[in-house]
Amino acid sequence: MLSLLKKNKWWGDNMKEFNPKLTIGIFSALVGILFASQVKMNIQMVTPVTINSIQRLELEIKSLRTEVEDLKLNIEDKQNYLTLIEDSNHSEKNIISVLEDERDKNMLLAGFKTVEGPGVEIVMFDNINSDELSFDFNDGIIHDVDMQNILNDLRVAGAEAISINGERVLSFSDIKCAGPVIRVNGRSLGTPFIITAIGDPKLLMASVSAPGTYAEMLTKVYGIGIQPYTKDKLVIPAYSGDFSYSYAKTVQ
Amino acid sequence: MNKKREKLAIIGVSLVLGLILSVQFKTINKTVGNGVLPTQRAQELANEVSKLKSEKELLTKQLEELENKVEQYEKEGISHDTYAENLYKDAMKYRMLAGYTDVHGPGIILEINDPPIDPQISDSYGIVDELDLLLQVISVLNAADAEAISINDQRYTSFTEIVRAGNHIEINGVSTGAPIVIKAIGNPDTLESALNIKWGIVWQLRNYDYVVNLTQNQDIKIERYRKAKEFIYAKPVEEE
Repeated sequence: MLSLLKKNKWWGDNMKEFNPKLTIGIFSALVGILFASQVKMNIQMVTPVTINSIQRLELEIKSLRTEVEDLKLNIEDKQNYLTLIEDSNHSEKNIISVLEDERDKNMLLAGFKTVEGPGVEIVMFDNINSDELSFDFNDGIIHDVDMQNILNDLRVAGAEAISINGERVLSFSDIKCAGPVIRVNGRSLGTPFIITAIGDPKLLMASVSAPGTYAEMLTKVYGIGIQPYTKDKLVIPAYSGDFSYSYAKTVQ
Repeated sequence: MNKKREKLAIIGVSLVLGLILSVQFKTINKTVGNGVLPTQRAQELANEVSKLKSEKELLTKQLEELENKVEQYEKEGISHDTYAENLYKDAMKYRMLAGYTDVHGPGIILEINDPPIDPQISDSYGIVDELDLLLQVISVLNAADAEAISINDQRYTSFTEIVRAGNHIEINGVSTGAPIVIKAIGNPDTLESALNIKWGIVWQLRNYDYVVNLTQNQDIKIERYRKAKEFIYAKPVEEE
């Protein structure tokens, strides 16, 4: 650097001569000013805007929209029901049929009615070839977690009713699974396990057979047998246990 | 020779700088939208969020009013008829079982915070990556006779799905994330001991470095399921 200056090459021999260093210097200064102004602009806002925060906002909007949509549906539902009751208020007979309908609707949603419809039937069994790659005897057996994951996948695919070996699975169903026996709603059921789900057969089928699903992983890695079949008509029985609330109370 | 090298270096640096700038610009454009500054876009989105929030509040109020009115009418209608009264009680019972009523009672609150970020390990993980654990908590609670369960205020029903969506979790179609707060109504002692058992689910969570907080509470409120569910495929079978 010093030698450059000594030779007076910094500014060139002639000032009028085109000097690349000078141009670069000016441009660097310009770019610097641009950057600085950009950064200053963001500092003015209290929180810096990042791509992440924008995506988060977009996600929040999406879920808020679904919530608002659901609320609107609920309100419409209630309004229809209200007009029904209002119309029925003139005669004694009608309120009873309105209430009966309401009770039946709630029974259906709660899983206390036998239902039929299209869907899938999945036959599951433990790994039979014990000498296959499984290093551990435990690996080839269907566990609780496996069952929960498969049920969750079916719900993601919009399953409307699910049963295991004829035992209705509800939100409060307790499923314990170890070895050749599965306990659903406190009842022991033997292998093979047959999961029945009513819903869109194509979606349900995809949720237990498409690449990357939990079910595929179970078959490929652990050799657990999972054979799904689509069916045009399946029957799923009503919940047979007696469930009663002893702690939970309705909020008045 | 020296000059040539200098120039080459500068050309190289300028090229890289130009590339970086254009890539950055393109990615921002893609997520933010063409011709809008990110700050503007963020402002827009924030406005929309607050608008939707107030709409949601309004609709919730409207629904509440309607529900009160319905209840009033129902009670009026059944006041002098035991059969109607029993019908009404049944209807309410099954509505509760389907998860369509707010409930309260004693139970437990389980809070699961993601593991603190360890600067030595760049790859952090969280509950979003291990949804299995949430399914297991639900299963344990059900085994301990929980009567109502919610995850981050989303009621757990027979249709509730827990699914990963990017960096978030979607429950009942609503996106949420860590920390996870699971509330369950039931016998507080049974619920707590079922979760706390040695080698049990809380032990397992703590083993994976999650910060877990389990408390009993004498009055937990669990909100109703908000989705209007209508069966499209499943039809009731008339029993004789």
